Amino acid sequence: MDGPDIGWYLIVAAMLFGIGALGVMLRRSPLIVLLSLEIMLNASNLTLIAFARQRGDLTGQVFALAVMAVAAAEVAIGLGLIVAMARRRMVLDVDQASALRG
Amino acid sequence: MLTTALILLPIAGALVVAILPLPRETTAGLAFLVALMEVGLWIAAAARFDFDDGSLQLGTSREWVESLGISYSVGFYGFSLWLTGAAVIVSAAAIGYAVWIGRDRPRAYHALMLLLTGAIVATFASQDLLLFYISFEAMLIPLYVLVGVWGGARRQAATLTFVVYTMAGSLLMLASVVAFGVTQGTFSLVDSGTSDNVWIFLGFAIAFAIKAPLFPFHGWLPLAYREAPVEVAAVLSAVVSKTAIYGFLRIGLPKFPEPADDLSGVILVLAGAGLVYGSLLAFRAPDLRGVVAYSSMAQMGLITLGVFAFDDLGLDGAVLQSVAHGLVSASMFLLVGMVEHRCGTGELASLGGMARGRPALATVVMVAGMIALAVPGSATFAGEFLIMAGVYDQGWGYSIVVALGVVLAAMYTLRVISAILHVKPGPAVREGALDLRPAELALVLPMILALLVLSAWPALVSQSSFPGNDAAQAISDGFR
Amino acid sequence: MVAGAWICLLAPLAGALGITLAGQRISRRTAGWISTLSTFVAFGGALVAFFGLWAADPSDREHVSTAYTWLAAGDFEVGLQIQLDTLSSTMMLVVSGVGGLIVWYSMGYMAGDDEERRYFAYMSLFVFSMLLLVEAGNFLLLLVGWGLVGLASYLLIGFWHHRPEAVAAAKKAFVMNAIGDATFALACVLLIWETGTLEFAGVFEDVGSLSSTTVNLVALGLLGGAIAKSAQIPLQTWLPDAMEGPTPVSALIHAATMVTAGVYLLVRAHPIFEATPDVQHLAAILGAATLLVAGAIALVQWDIKRVIAYSTMSQIGYMFLAAGIGAYGYAIFHLMTHAFFKALLFMSAGLVIHHLDGEQDIRRMGGLKEVMPRTHVAFLVGILALVGIPPFAGFWSKDGIIASALAAGGALGYTLYVAALIGALFTGAYAFRLYYTVFRGSQSEYAAEHAHEGHGEGPRSMLVPVWILTVLSTIGGLVVIPGVWHPLTEWIGETAEALVDPTVAEDYETSTLAVVLGLVGLFLARRAFQAGRQLVTNPAIWRVLEHKLYFDELYDALFFRPAVALSVALRRNVEEPVIERSLDEIGSGTIQVGGEVARVQSGLLRTYAVAIAFAVCVLVVVFVAVR
Repeated sequence: MDGPDIGWYLIVAAMLFGIGALGVMLRRSPLIVLLSLEIMLNASNLTLIAFARQRGDLTGQVFALAVMAVAAAEVAIGLGLIVAMARRRMVLDVDQASALRG
Repeated sequence: MLTTALILLPIAGALVVAILPLPRETTAGLAFLVALMEVGLWIAAAARFDFDDGSLQLGTSREWVESLGISYSVGFYGFSLWLTGAAVIVSAAAIGYAVWIGRDRPRAYHALMLLLTGAIVATFASQDLLLFYISFEAMLIPLYVLVGVWGGARRQAATLTFVVYTMAGSLLMLASVVAFGVTQGTFSLVDSGTSDNVWIFLGFAIAFAIKAPLFPFHGWLPLAYREAPVEVAAVLSAVVSKTAIYGFLRIGLPKFPEPADDLSGVILVLAGAGLVYGSLLAFRAPDLRGVVAYSSMAQMGLITLGVFAFDDLGLDGAVLQSVAHGLVSASMFLLVGMVEHRCGTGELASLGGMARGRPALATVVMVAGMIALAVPGSATFAGEFLIMAGVYDQGWGYSIVVALGVVLAAMYTLRVISAILHVKPGPAVREGALDLRPAELALVLPMILALLVLSAWPALVSQSSFPGNDAAQAISDGFR
Repeated sequence: MVAGAWICLLAPLAGALGITLAGQRISRRTAGWISTLSTFVAFGGALVAFFGLWAADPSDREHVSTAYTWLAAGDFEVGLQIQLDTLSSTMMLVVSGVGGLIVWYSMGYMAGDDEERRYFAYMSLFVFSMLLLVEAGNFLLLLVGWGLVGLASYLLIGFWHHRPEAVAAAKKAFVMNAIGDATFALACVLLIWETGTLEFAGVFEDVGSLSSTTVNLVALGLLGGAIAKSAQIPLQTWLPDAMEGPTPVSALIHAATMVTAGVYLLVRAHPIFEATPDVQHLAAILGAATLLVAGAIALVQWDIKRVIAYSTMSQIGYMFLAAGIGAYGYAIFHLMTHAFFKALLFMSAGLVIHHLDGEQDIRRMGGLKEVMPRTHVAFLVGILALVGIPPFAGFWSKDGIIASALAAGGALGYTLYVAALIGALFTGAYAFRLYYTVFRGSQSEYAAEHAHEGHGEGPRSMLVPVWILTVLSTIGGLVVIPGVWHPLTEWIGETAEALVDPTVAEDYETSTLAVVLGLVGLFLARRAFQAGRQLVTNPAIWRVLEHKLYFDELYDALFFRPAVALSVALRRNVEEPVIERSLDEIGSGTIQVGGEVARVQSGLLRTYAVAIAFAVCVLVVVFVAVR
């Protein structure tokens, strides 16, 4: 098998995931939060594909495709929500959106 | 097939009544007709039933969820057939009363009443634990709505209490049903063996104790019986409470012989306490429904004493008393409704003197009252006597408690009879308040007549309730 | 013969059902006739049964006939069965015969009442129940009859249900009898477990093999039923109040038949009582106590019916005494003569009350001898029979009982003997006090006002039964003459053999004493009457007697009030705070817990994210650690 060892891919994926997770946890703009989520999804996609290649089993790649489709749908909804918030002239800050507090 | 028909007829009737856009009177009449057909079906079933044969009869069984051992399995034993008989008769009378009184929104109301009937019959007939659970729960849904929508002023509180109590019982029972079914590998009541797990038994026992209700699980009873429409209260106290007795007889005792035996002391004490406690509260209750409600609770304690006597006398007595009390308590509730309808109140202090000029009312109230207080020679007396004799084996003290209950029953029943009929008319009794109308008589009289027949021949029920006329043996064999 | 017994039992039931079902389609008079005739049909059946038995061989005088299985559970079965023997046939004759006369009399007494049909239906129901009681072939059926006569008694005492006193008296009678029914039922329960049957023959066979505790308890249970039904101390307080019912009811139920059922039970169940002499003697002692107490209370009462009611209690005390020492024949003999003369007394009192438009206070009567000569004769015959003046009926039966007490001997026998003789003195005194106050002296204003001229003493339907009973009270005792013949006691002896048999000498010695004491009572009453003073002059004793020895107050304080207090306390301290409020507390508790938990739900997206990340880390660590 060509290319780098599977470990490298996993390290990259873990870094991506860490960046995404920190983004979700630390940033306040919903747009950035959404973006960070996408990064996390792509990190998992990367691991799926890497393992699929290593094991010679295409199921992982198929699964990654499915994740991408779902992610696209998710972005559509997420962006839609953000646009809706903006239209209502709400502050685009996730800390302000706390109407679900118990 | 007959059993399935008995279950499906009222449910189908409920659908038809709910869907067809018929005028008010036609809807109500149709519902009553279905209820009468149900009684007819039951008579047909009883005619085909061989009371000498101990096995499950009129049975139908079909796989439902094969991998889990769940099946649609129904059928009757002697005692469940008798309980069903009381149930369909009481339901018909209750629906008839609702027709007569002209309840609002008849389509919804009668559909729910028929649904309730179907669920009750299914409970008495089911031979599969999961089916039993579903039917047991299916009874509650119409009851919630009937009490919550058509009830009295405090109907919401009544419904809420009822829901909370019965839900708690249901959840415990569901856990027990699942645990029992999984450990046995089948949910069939016919095929499954016995279990010696106390916790599973407790789940069932508490659910039944709430449904009966037994002391101290009766918190829902006073409100529900006072606020429910009177014919719903009749069905509740006459029939729905008896599903708990059926549960003890069909599941509690045969499936859990050891736990039932271990815990019988506690249950007997609670039942005896409930008998005395209910009687005492009935003795001072300020209104008609309070008296009937607490007396019903006392009677359920009495019947439970019979069940946990574990011998032929007690078990046969419990079935006989369940049937007799079902009929008499439904009659009493309907009569209470008729009195309240005339006087606008059930406060004992505002009633009185209704005997004068109302011979039919006086006669029917007197006869029903006398049977309710178990005057010797009545079917209720026969039942109480058997229970009193049966429970003696568990301890002489219980027999004395039953005897005390008999005396207290005389006290509270006479009080309520006199409060309605005797001395001078109370402030709520108008001079023009009518005697019972023929239609009202036609609703109550069949139940009274059935009681009189049972009084002349109580052996009809007590002799044919259990296979081989040997109740204790049948229970310990698990009806096999 | 057995068919006669069945007809006797079922005819009144048919009458009751017929009247109920016919409702207003028949006239009141027809209802009366249905009831009367059905009772006389029962009497005919009883005669057939009696003479059939009479003609039969003495060894063949016990027949049991079962119609069907009434109640069954497992191996336990009780049939709807009747037992025809010398005892039950005698009782059938008394019940249906005297009953028929009284129902007939009621047609006149109740004429014009709004609800005559209901009255006659109840009367027929009562006669049926009483016949069921005496004909029953097992204890359970006896208990059924026992309860049903209580029911009929309740219905008839409270017949005039617009009167609060009548309703209260009816309830009191029913509840006190329910106590007796309960102890009776408990005795039956014991019998089921110990002997396996409730049939008389089977039970009596096994009595010998039972432990003494069992026999004691069974006998006590039966005795409890008997004293409640027969209004003996300590369950006697309902009987005087029961006089609120119509007078024929008092005559039939509370004098002639139902209240003597306790005596019947003692005689019927004599093998059980003989197996436990202590309890049997207790019955005799209670009887003696009652006859003294009731006789004393009768001295001061003002209501004509209450005086007779206390006299009834007192006379039943004699019967209990007899049954308690084993003089069964004399107990039933006195039961029979008492049925004659006490029914006669009530019915002639009824004529007086009828004549005076419902007045029952003897202070407003007086001098009625002139206005009601025939009633006067009948009443006097009843009084003479009651006091036991020869040759009237009560003389023969009562003296047989007192002589039996003497013959029983021992400390108990002599005590009972003395008590019975003192009772005879009381009887003479209260009976003649009543007689003098009502019929002699000058007419009171009230009596003069209400003496309807030309009205006669009553309709024929009332007078004929009274005449018949007058004759019976005069000659009815001649069936037992000491030293000459005693067919009746021998007849009863075939079913319940007497334990004591007084000699002829004892008999005549007792008779002399008792008659003398009765006459002393007469003279005391006469002197007091002529002097215009009361028999009891000490005001303290008077007050105690007038309050019936404070039994009512005592029971009120001991049972009724505690029951009410307990009931109210349970409602206040258990039902409301614990049962009803517990639900509220569960509800508010849930809300509180929910409030606490809800704080976690901050609504801040980033907090959630941190929580998730943290949880994932923990899970990872856990997984690694576990591996």
